[in-house]
Amino acid sequence: MTLRRFLTLGLLVVLLGAAGTAVWRSAGPRPESAHSIAEQLLCPTCQGESVAQSQSPMAAAMRDTIDQQLAAGRTPEQVRRFFVDRYGPDVLAEPSYRGLGLLLWLLPGLTVALVAGLALRRRRRKPDGPSPAEAPAEAPPARRRPSRAWDAVAVAVIALVAAVAVASPHRASDTRPAPTADRNTSLQSLAQSLEDQGRYAEAAEVYRDVVTQRPDDRTRLKLAFALLRAERATEAAITAEQVLHDSPTSTDALLILGLAQRASGSPAATATLRRFLKAAPADPAAAEVRRLLAAP
Amino acid sequence: MRRGRVLSALLAAAAVTALGVTLASGVGRPSGDAAPTAAGPVTQARSGTAPALTGTTLTGATFDAAALRGKVVLVNVWASWCDPCRQELPVLAAAQRRWAARGLAVVGIDIRDNAESARALLSGLGVQDLQSIADPQGTTAVAWGARGVPETFVVDRSGQVRWWAQGAVDAAWMEQRVSPLMSS
Repeated sequence: MTLRRFLTLGLLVVLLGAAGTAVWRSAGPRPESAHSIAEQLLCPTCQGESVAQSQSPMAAAMRDTIDQQLAAGRTPEQVRRFFVDRYGPDVLAEPSYRGLGLLLWLLPGLTVALVAGLALRRRRRKPDGPSPAEAPAEAPPARRRPSRAWDAVAVAVIALVAAVAVASPHRASDTRPAPTADRNTSLQSLAQSLEDQGRYAEAAEVYRDVVTQRPDDRTRLKLAFALLRAERATEAAITAEQVLHDSPTSTDALLILGLAQRASGSPAATATLRRFLKAAPADPAAAEVRRLLAAP
Repeated sequence: MRRGRVLSALLAAAAVTALGVTLASGVGRPSGDAAPTAAGPVTQARSGTAPALTGTTLTGATFDAAALRGKVVLVNVWASWCDPCRQELPVLAAAQRRWAARGLAVVGIDIRDNAESARALLSGLGVQDLQSIADPQGTTAVAWGARGVPETFVVDRSGQVRWWAQGAVDAAWMEQRVSPLMSS
Protein backbone atom coordinates (compact mmCIF):
# COMPACT_ATOMS: atom_id res chain seq x y z
CA MET A 1 0.00 0.00 0.00
CA THR A 2 2.80 2.37 0.95
CA LEU A 3 4.66 1.44 -2.23
CA ARG A 4 1.55 2.07 -4.28
CA ARG A 5 1.03 5.40 -2.67
CA PHE A 6 4.69 6.23 -3.25
CA LEU A 7 4.41 5.27 -6.91
CA THR A 8 1.24 7.32 -7.34
CA LEU A 9 2.93 10.29 -5.74
CA GLY A 10 5.98 9.79 -7.96
CA LEU A 11 3.79 9.65 -11.08
CA LEU A 12 2.01 12.80 -9.98
CA VAL A 13 5.32 14.62 -9.50
CA VAL A 14 6.55 13.48 -12.93
CA LEU A 15 3.29 14.56 -14.59
CA LEU A 16 3.29 17.92 -12.84
CA GLY A 17 6.91 18.40 -13.86
CA ALA A 18 6.09 17.53 -17.45
CA ALA A 19 3.08 19.85 -17.44
CA GLY A 20 5.21 22.64 -15.96
CA THR A 21 7.90 22.12 -18.59
CA ALA A 22 5.28 22.12 -21.33
CA VAL A 23 3.77 25.37 -20.07
CA TRP A 24 7.20 26.95 -19.74
CA ARG A 25 8.19 25.86 -23.24
CA SER A 26 5.05 27.20 -24.87
CA ALA A 27 4.47 30.30 -22.77
CA GLY A 28 7.90 31.07 -21.36
CA PRO A 29 9.36 34.51 -22.00
CA ARG A 30 10.96 34.83 -25.42
CA PRO A 31 12.65 37.89 -26.90
CA GLU A 32 10.20 39.59 -29.24
CA SER A 33 11.22 39.78 -32.86
CA ALA A 34 9.44 41.09 -35.94
CA HIS A 35 8.47 37.48 -36.62
CA SER A 36 7.01 36.93 -33.15
CA ILE A 37 4.96 40.13 -33.46
CA ALA A 38 3.72 39.00 -36.88
CA GLU A 39 2.75 35.68 -35.31
CA GLN A 40 0.60 37.52 -32.77
CA LEU A 41 -1.35 39.37 -35.47
CA LEU A 42 -4.07 37.83 -37.59
CA CYS A 43 -4.04 38.52 -41.31
CA PRO A 44 -7.24 40.57 -41.81
CA THR A 45 -7.99 39.10 -45.25
CA CYS A 46 -7.29 35.45 -44.46
CA GLN A 47 -9.10 32.73 -42.55
CA GLY A 48 -7.23 31.87 -39.37
CA GLU A 49 -3.76 32.68 -40.68
CA SER A 50 -1.32 34.89 -38.85
CA VAL A 51 0.47 37.76 -40.54
CA ALA A 52 3.64 35.67 -40.27
CA GLN A 53 2.08 32.73 -42.12
CA SER A 54 0.02 34.42 -44.80
CA GLN A 55 1.31 34.90 -48.32
CA SER A 56 -1.28 37.60 -49.12
CA PRO A 57 0.03 41.01 -50.26
CA MET A 58 -1.63 42.71 -47.29
CA ALA A 59 0.08 40.38 -44.81
CA ALA A 60 3.39 41.08 -46.54
CA ALA A 61 2.66 44.80 -46.22
CA MET A 62 1.92 44.31 -42.52
CA ARG A 63 5.23 42.44 -42.05
CA ASP A 64 7.05 45.29 -43.76
CA THR A 65 5.20 47.73 -41.50
CA ILE A 66 6.37 45.80 -38.41
CA ASP A 67 9.98 45.89 -39.69
CA GLN A 68 9.68 49.60 -40.41
CA GLN A 69 8.24 50.42 -36.99
CA LEU A 70 10.81 48.36 -35.09
CA ALA A 71 13.56 49.98 -37.14
CA ALA A 72 12.10 53.37 -36.16
CA GLY A 73 12.62 52.39 -32.51
CA ARG A 74 9.04 51.55 -31.51
CA THR A 75 8.51 48.92 -28.85
CA PRO A 76 6.65 45.68 -29.69
CA GLU A 77 3.77 46.95 -27.54
CA GLN A 78 3.58 50.18 -29.55
CA VAL A 79 3.64 48.17 -32.79
CA ARG A 80 0.74 46.00 -31.58
CA ARG A 81 -1.20 49.11 -30.54
CA PHE A 82 -0.60 50.60 -34.01
CA PHE A 83 -2.33 47.59 -35.57
CA VAL A 84 -5.14 47.49 -32.98
CA ASP A 85 -5.83 51.20 -33.63
CA ARG A 86 -6.25 50.47 -37.35
CA TYR A 87 -7.70 46.97 -37.48
CA GLY A 88 -9.47 46.70 -34.12
CA PRO A 89 -8.77 44.27 -31.26
CA ASP A 90 -9.66 41.31 -33.49
CA VAL A 91 -6.31 41.70 -35.22
CA LEU A 92 -4.65 40.19 -32.16
CA ALA A 93 -4.32 36.42 -32.36
CA GLU A 94 -4.61 36.06 -28.58
CA PRO A 95 -7.91 37.00 -26.95
CA SER A 96 -7.89 40.18 -24.91
CA TYR A 97 -7.94 40.20 -21.13
CA ARG A 98 -11.38 41.86 -21.06
CA GLY A 99 -14.96 40.77 -21.69
CA LEU A 100 -15.43 37.45 -23.47
CA GLY A 101 -11.68 37.27 -24.03
CA LEU A 102 -11.18 37.09 -20.26
CA LEU A 103 -13.61 34.15 -20.15
CA LEU A 104 -11.46 32.32 -22.70
CA TRP A 105 -8.40 32.84 -20.53
CA LEU A 106 -10.15 31.79 -17.32
CA LEU A 107 -12.15 28.83 -18.64
CA PRO A 108 -9.29 26.29 -18.77
CA GLY A 109 -8.15 27.20 -15.26
CA LEU A 110 -11.69 27.09 -13.90
CA THR A 111 -12.28 23.72 -15.54
CA VAL A 112 -9.12 22.26 -14.01
CA ALA A 113 -10.02 23.68 -10.59
CA LEU A 114 -13.53 22.26 -10.89
CA VAL A 115 -12.40 18.79 -11.86
CA ALA A 116 -9.78 18.79 -9.12
CA GLY A 117 -12.40 19.95 -6.61
CA LEU A 118 -14.83 17.22 -7.61
CA ALA A 119 -12.10 14.59 -7.49
CA LEU A 120 -11.03 15.69 -4.02
CA ARG A 121 -14.62 15.64 -2.80
CA ARG A 122 -15.11 12.18 -4.11
CA ARG A 123 -11.90 10.91 -2.58
CA ARG A 124 -12.73 12.43 0.78
CA ARG A 125 -16.05 10.66 0.80
CA LYS A 126 -14.63 7.30 -0.13
CA PRO A 127 -13.22 6.31 3.30
CA ASP A 128 -16.72 6.62 4.78
CA GLY A 129 -17.81 3.89 2.40
CA PRO A 130 -21.33 3.58 1.19
CA SER A 131 -23.86 4.58 3.80
CA PRO A 132 -25.80 1.67 5.29
CA ALA A 133 -28.90 2.67 3.40
CA GLU A 134 -27.14 2.48 0.01
CA ALA A 135 -24.88 -0.45 0.76
CA PRO A 136 -27.00 -3.36 -0.36
CA ALA A 137 -27.89 -1.80 -3.67
CA GLU A 138 -24.36 -0.98 -4.82
CA ALA A 139 -21.45 -3.38 -4.65
CA PRO A 140 -18.19 -1.49 -3.91
CA PRO A 141 -16.01 -3.15 -6.65
CA ALA A 142 -18.48 -2.20 -9.35
CA ARG A 143 -18.43 1.43 -8.19
CA ARG A 144 -14.67 1.57 -8.14
CA ARG A 145 -14.29 0.65 -11.80
CA PRO A 146 -15.59 3.84 -13.43
CA SER A 147 -13.46 5.89 -11.07
CA ARG A 148 -10.35 4.00 -12.19
CA ALA A 149 -11.36 4.37 -15.80
CA TRP A 150 -11.63 8.13 -15.29
CA ASP A 151 -8.23 8.19 -13.62
CA ALA A 152 -6.76 6.33 -16.58
CA VAL A 153 -8.38 8.68 -19.08
CA ALA A 154 -7.17 11.72 -17.17
CA VAL A 155 -3.61 10.38 -16.97
CA ALA A 156 -3.71 9.48 -20.68
CA VAL A 157 -4.87 12.98 -21.64
CA ILE A 158 -2.19 14.64 -19.51
CA ALA A 159 0.47 12.29 -20.89
CA LEU A 160 -0.66 12.99 -24.44
CA VAL A 161 -0.56 16.75 -23.96
CA ALA A 162 2.83 16.54 -22.26
CA ALA A 163 4.17 14.28 -25.03
CA VAL A 164 2.96 16.63 -27.75
CA ALA A 165 4.39 19.65 -25.93
CA VAL A 166 7.78 18.01 -25.44
CA ALA A 167 7.93 16.41 -28.89
CA SER A 168 6.83 19.54 -30.75
CA PRO A 169 9.66 21.50 -32.35
CA HIS A 170 11.08 24.03 -29.93
CA ARG A 171 9.57 27.42 -30.59
CA ALA A 172 12.79 29.26 -29.86
CA SER A 173 14.50 27.37 -32.68
CA ASP A 174 12.24 28.92 -35.29
CA THR A 175 13.12 32.49 -34.38
CA ARG A 176 14.38 32.80 -37.95
CA PRO A 177 11.92 35.50 -38.93
CA ALA A 178 9.62 35.08 -41.90
CA PRO A 179 10.18 38.65 -43.16
CA THR A 180 13.88 37.86 -43.24
CA ALA A 181 13.10 34.72 -45.19
CA ASP A 182 11.16 36.88 -47.65
CA ARG A 183 14.02 39.34 -47.80
CA ASN A 184 16.54 36.54 -48.18
CA THR A 185 14.60 35.12 -51.09
CA SER A 186 14.59 38.47 -52.87
CA LEU A 187 18.27 38.99 -52.01
CA GLN A 188 19.04 35.56 -53.44
CA SER A 189 17.29 36.43 -56.69
CA LEU A 190 19.12 39.76 -56.74
CA ALA A 191 22.45 37.95 -56.33
CA GLN A 192 21.47 35.49 -59.04
CA SER A 193 20.66 38.29 -61.47
CA LEU A 194 23.98 40.01 -60.63
CA GLU A 195 25.73 36.73 -61.38
CA ASP A 196 23.84 36.45 -64.66
CA GLN A 197 25.17 39.88 -65.58
CA GLY A 198 28.71 38.80 -64.72
CA ARG A 199 28.86 41.11 -61.67
CA TYR A 200 30.34 38.38 -59.44
CA ALA A 201 31.92 40.61 -56.79
CA GLU A 202 28.60 42.36 -56.14
CA ALA A 203 26.76 39.05 -56.18
CA ALA A 204 29.21 37.71 -53.60
CA GLU A 205 28.50 40.68 -51.31
CA VAL A 206 24.75 40.01 -51.54
CA TYR A 207 25.25 36.29 -50.87
CA ARG A 208 27.39 37.21 -47.88
CA ASP A 209 24.48 39.26 -46.52
CA VAL A 210 22.15 36.29 -46.92
CA VAL A 211 24.71 33.93 -45.35
CA THR A 212 24.97 36.05 -42.21
CA GLN A 213 21.19 35.65 -41.78
CA ARG A 214 20.94 32.05 -42.94
CA PRO A 215 24.21 30.16 -43.09
CA ASP A 216 22.92 27.13 -45.01
CA ASP A 217 25.26 25.06 -47.18
CA ARG A 218 23.57 25.92 -50.46
CA THR A 219 23.91 29.69 -49.99
CA ARG A 220 27.46 29.36 -48.66
CA LEU A 221 28.41 27.36 -51.75
CA LYS A 222 26.85 30.01 -53.97
CA LEU A 223 28.89 32.60 -52.09
CA ALA A 224 32.05 30.53 -52.55
CA PHE A 225 31.36 30.10 -56.26
CA ALA A 226 30.65 33.81 -56.74
CA LEU A 227 33.91 34.62 -54.90
CA LEU A 228 35.77 32.19 -57.12
CA ARG A 229 34.35 33.77 -60.23
CA ALA A 230 35.13 37.23 -58.81
CA GLU A 231 38.77 36.07 -58.69
CA ARG A 232 38.81 36.10 -54.89
CA ALA A 233 40.03 32.52 -54.66
CA THR A 234 41.41 32.68 -51.12
CA GLU A 235 38.06 33.80 -49.68
CA ALA A 236 36.29 31.22 -51.86
CA ALA A 237 38.52 28.48 -50.45
CA ILE A 238 37.82 29.57 -46.86
CA THR A 239 34.05 29.53 -47.46
CA ALA A 240 34.18 26.13 -49.20
CA GLU A 241 36.29 24.76 -46.33
CA GLN A 242 33.67 25.95 -43.84
CA VAL A 243 30.96 24.09 -45.76
CA LEU A 244 33.18 21.02 -45.95
CA HIS A 245 33.78 21.20 -42.22
CA ASP A 246 30.02 21.10 -41.56
CA SER A 247 29.15 18.66 -44.36
CA PRO A 248 32.23 16.52 -45.09
CA THR A 249 30.35 14.62 -47.82
CA SER A 250 29.54 17.71 -49.91
CA THR A 251 31.16 17.07 -53.29
CA ASP A 252 30.24 20.57 -54.50
CA ALA A 253 32.24 22.04 -51.63
CA LEU A 254 35.19 19.78 -52.56
CA LEU A 255 34.97 20.91 -56.17
CA ILE A 256 34.86 24.62 -55.33
CA LEU A 257 37.63 24.21 -52.74
CA GLY A 258 39.80 22.39 -55.29
CA LEU A 259 39.19 25.01 -57.96
CA ALA A 260 39.82 27.84 -55.49
CA GLN A 261 43.05 26.23 -54.30
CA ARG A 262 44.11 25.79 -57.92
CA ALA A 263 43.29 29.44 -58.71
CA SER A 264 45.31 30.66 -55.73
CA GLY A 265 48.22 28.38 -56.67
CA SER A 266 47.92 26.17 -53.59
CA PRO A 267 49.73 22.82 -53.88
CA ALA A 268 46.79 21.13 -52.15
CA ALA A 269 44.60 21.70 -55.22
CA THR A 270 45.49 18.43 -56.99
CA ALA A 271 44.76 16.29 -53.95
CA THR A 272 41.42 18.06 -53.33
CA LEU A 273 40.32 17.69 -56.94
CA ARG A 274 41.31 14.00 -56.89
CA ARG A 275 39.20 13.57 -53.77
CA PHE A 276 36.34 15.21 -55.65
CA LEU A 277 36.75 12.83 -58.62
CA LYS A 278 36.83 9.85 -56.29
CA ALA A 279 33.69 10.99 -54.46
CA ALA A 280 31.72 12.04 -57.55
CA PRO A 281 33.09 10.35 -60.65
CA ALA A 282 29.81 10.88 -62.50
CA ASP A 283 29.47 14.59 -61.70
CA PRO A 284 28.90 16.81 -64.76
CA ALA A 285 32.05 18.73 -63.78
CA ALA A 286 34.16 15.58 -63.48
CA ALA A 287 35.28 15.56 -67.12
CA GLU A 288 36.48 19.16 -66.88
CA VAL A 289 38.31 18.41 -63.63
CA ARG A 290 40.04 15.40 -65.23
CA ARG A 291 41.11 17.66 -68.07
CA LEU A 292 42.48 20.21 -65.56
CA LEU A 293 44.39 17.52 -63.69
CA ALA A 294 45.83 16.07 -66.89
CA ALA A 295 47.03 19.50 -68.01
CA PRO A 296 50.56 20.34 -66.94
CA MET B 1 -24.44 11.33 -3.81
CA ARG B 2 -27.56 12.49 -5.66
CA ARG B 3 -26.81 16.09 -4.82
CA GLY B 4 -23.30 15.66 -6.18
CA ARG B 5 -24.66 14.30 -9.43
CA VAL B 6 -27.10 17.17 -9.82
CA LEU B 7 -24.26 19.60 -9.12
CA SER B 8 -22.04 17.89 -11.71
CA ALA B 9 -24.83 17.97 -14.29
CA LEU B 10 -25.44 21.66 -13.59
CA LEU B 11 -21.76 22.47 -13.89
CA ALA B 12 -21.47 20.50 -17.12
CA ALA B 13 -24.52 22.32 -18.47
CA ALA B 14 -22.97 25.67 -17.44
CA ALA B 15 -19.71 24.79 -19.17
CA VAL B 16 -21.49 23.74 -22.36
CA THR B 17 -23.60 26.92 -22.26
CA ALA B 18 -20.50 29.09 -21.79
CA LEU B 19 -18.85 27.36 -24.74
CA GLY B 20 -22.00 27.79 -26.80
CA VAL B 21 -22.25 31.50 -25.96
CA THR B 22 -18.61 32.00 -26.86
CA LEU B 23 -18.97 30.22 -30.19
CA ALA B 24 -22.26 31.95 -30.97
CA SER B 25 -20.73 35.37 -30.33
CA GLY B 26 -17.99 34.47 -32.81
CA VAL B 27 -20.51 33.30 -35.39
CA GLY B 28 -22.54 36.48 -34.92
CA ARG B 29 -19.59 38.68 -35.71
CA PRO B 30 -19.13 39.70 -39.34
CA SER B 31 -16.59 37.55 -41.10
CA GLY B 32 -13.24 39.20 -41.92
CA ASP B 33 -13.52 38.71 -45.66
CA ALA B 34 -17.04 39.85 -46.34
CA ALA B 35 -17.24 39.62 -50.11
CA PRO B 36 -18.60 42.67 -51.86
CA THR B 37 -22.08 41.97 -53.06
CA ALA B 38 -23.48 42.80 -56.45
CA ALA B 39 -25.24 45.79 -54.87
CA GLY B 40 -21.91 47.59 -54.34
CA PRO B 41 -19.01 47.55 -51.95
CA VAL B 42 -19.27 46.69 -48.25
CA THR B 43 -19.38 50.14 -46.69
CA GLN B 44 -18.83 51.05 -43.06
CA ALA B 45 -18.97 54.42 -41.36
CA ARG B 46 -15.64 55.45 -39.88
CA SER B 47 -14.50 58.20 -37.59
CA GLY B 48 -11.23 59.74 -36.59
CA THR B 49 -8.61 61.94 -38.16
CA ALA B 50 -7.26 60.72 -41.49
CA PRO B 51 -3.73 59.29 -41.31
CA ALA B 52 -0.96 61.16 -43.09
CA LEU B 53 -0.75 60.56 -46.80
CA THR B 54 2.61 61.51 -48.20
CA GLY B 55 4.98 59.99 -50.69
CA THR B 56 6.04 59.97 -54.29
CA THR B 57 3.45 59.67 -57.03
CA LEU B 58 3.69 57.21 -59.90
CA THR B 59 4.93 60.09 -62.05
CA GLY B 60 7.71 60.85 -59.58
CA ALA B 61 6.25 63.98 -57.99
CA THR B 62 6.27 64.59 -54.25
CA PHE B 63 2.82 64.41 -52.73
CA ASP B 64 1.35 65.47 -49.41
CA ALA B 65 -2.40 65.21 -48.83
CA ALA B 66 -2.15 67.93 -46.17
CA ALA B 67 -2.33 70.34 -49.12
CA LEU B 68 -5.84 69.02 -49.83
CA ARG B 69 -7.28 70.14 -46.48
CA GLY B 70 -10.69 71.70 -47.06
CA LYS B 71 -11.51 69.29 -49.87
CA VAL B 72 -13.38 66.01 -49.76
CA VAL B 73 -10.65 63.43 -50.40
CA LEU B 74 -11.33 60.01 -51.77
CA VAL B 75 -8.40 57.70 -51.01
CA ASN B 76 -8.43 54.56 -53.12
CA VAL B 77 -6.17 51.57 -52.47
CA TRP B 78 -5.47 49.71 -55.70
CA ALA B 79 -2.92 47.78 -57.72
CA SER B 80 -2.49 46.86 -61.37
CA TRP B 81 -2.66 43.15 -60.45
CA CYS B 82 -6.16 43.63 -58.96
CA ASP B 83 -8.91 42.85 -61.42
CA PRO B 84 -11.85 44.77 -59.84
CA CYS B 85 -9.59 47.84 -59.70
CA ARG B 86 -9.62 47.98 -63.51
CA GLN B 87 -13.38 48.51 -63.47
CA GLU B 88 -13.22 50.92 -60.59
CA LEU B 89 -10.50 53.30 -61.78
CA PRO B 90 -12.62 54.85 -64.59
CA VAL B 91 -15.43 55.45 -62.03
CA LEU B 92 -12.98 57.32 -59.80
CA ALA B 93 -11.60 59.34 -62.69
CA ALA B 94 -15.13 60.28 -63.80
CA ALA B 95 -16.06 61.38 -60.26
CA GLN B 96 -12.92 63.50 -60.05
CA ARG B 97 -13.68 65.23 -63.36
CA ARG B 98 -17.30 65.72 -62.44
CA TRP B 99 -16.84 67.01 -58.90
CA ALA B 100 -13.40 68.64 -58.92
CA ALA B 101 -15.03 72.05 -59.06
CA ARG B 102 -17.14 71.20 -55.98
CA GLY B 103 -13.99 70.29 -54.04
CA LEU B 104 -13.38 66.57 -54.60
CA ALA B 105 -9.86 65.18 -54.85
CA VAL B 106 -9.10 61.54 -55.64
CA VAL B 107 -5.81 60.05 -54.50
CA GLY B 108 -4.75 56.49 -55.18
CA ILE B 109 -2.41 54.33 -53.11
CA ASP B 110 -0.87 51.85 -55.53
CA ILE B 111 0.26 49.00 -53.30
CA ARG B 112 2.94 46.36 -53.81
CA ASP B 113 3.00 47.05 -57.50
CA ASN B 114 5.39 47.61 -60.33
CA ALA B 115 5.22 51.33 -61.15
CA GLU B 116 5.63 50.60 -64.86
CA SER B 117 2.61 48.23 -64.91
CA ALA B 118 0.59 50.71 -62.86
CA ARG B 119 1.30 53.59 -65.27
CA ALA B 120 0.55 51.31 -68.23
CA LEU B 121 -2.82 50.39 -66.73
CA LEU B 122 -3.74 54.02 -66.05
CA SER B 123 -2.88 55.11 -69.57
CA GLY B 124 -4.55 52.02 -71.02
CA LEU B 125 -7.76 53.00 -69.24
CA GLY B 126 -7.31 56.64 -70.23
CA VAL B 127 -7.23 57.80 -66.61
CA GLN B 128 -3.68 59.20 -66.38
CA ASP B 129 -5.12 62.22 -64.57
CA LEU B 130 -5.70 60.08 -61.44
CA GLN B 131 -2.79 60.76 -59.14
CA SER B 132 -1.50 57.85 -57.12
CA ILE B 133 1.16 57.44 -54.49
CA ALA B 134 3.49 54.52 -55.17
CA ASP B 135 3.42 52.29 -52.09
CA PRO B 136 5.71 49.41 -53.09
CA GLN B 137 5.76 47.91 -49.60
CA GLY B 138 2.09 48.58 -48.86
CA THR B 139 2.96 50.27 -45.57
CA THR B 140 0.99 53.44 -46.38
CA ALA B 141 -2.11 51.32 -47.05
CA VAL B 142 -1.55 49.52 -43.73
CA ALA B 143 -1.30 52.88 -41.95
CA TRP B 144 -4.77 53.60 -43.35
CA GLY B 145 -6.04 50.25 -42.07
CA ALA B 146 -6.64 48.80 -45.53
CA ARG B 147 -7.34 45.08 -45.64
CA GLY B 148 -7.13 44.45 -49.37
CA VAL B 149 -7.74 45.93 -52.82
CA PRO B 150 -9.74 47.73 -53.94
CA GLU B 151 -10.69 49.77 -50.89
CA THR B 152 -11.83 53.35 -50.64
CA PHE B 153 -11.69 55.78 -47.73
CA VAL B 154 -13.67 59.02 -47.85
CA VAL B 155 -12.25 61.96 -45.89
CA ASP B 156 -14.46 65.00 -45.30
CA ARG B 157 -13.47 68.65 -45.58
CA SER B 158 -12.35 68.77 -41.95
CA GLY B 159 -9.93 65.88 -42.39
CA GLN B 160 -12.10 63.23 -40.71
CA VAL B 161 -12.47 59.76 -42.24
CA ARG B 162 -16.19 59.20 -42.86
CA TRP B 163 -16.58 56.08 -44.99
CA TRP B 164 -14.62 52.94 -45.67
CA ALA B 165 -15.64 50.75 -48.60
CA GLN B 166 -14.29 47.28 -49.34
CA GLY B 167 -14.72 46.32 -52.98
CA ALA B 168 -15.10 48.36 -56.14
CA VAL B 169 -17.22 51.51 -55.79
CA ASP B 170 -19.59 52.59 -58.56
CA ALA B 171 -21.33 55.78 -59.66
CA ALA B 172 -24.38 55.09 -57.46
CA TRP B 173 -22.15 54.67 -54.42
CA MET B 174 -20.42 57.97 -55.21
CA GLU B 175 -23.76 59.69 -55.43
CA GLN B 176 -24.94 58.18 -52.15
CA ARG B 177 -21.81 58.54 -49.99
CA VAL B 178 -19.62 61.25 -51.48
CA SER B 179 -22.01 63.78 -52.95
CA PRO B 180 -23.64 64.72 -49.58
CA LEU B 181 -20.21 65.45 -48.06
CA MET B 182 -19.48 68.01 -50.74
CA SER B 183 -22.68 69.89 -50.03
CA SER B 184 -21.89 70.20 -46.34
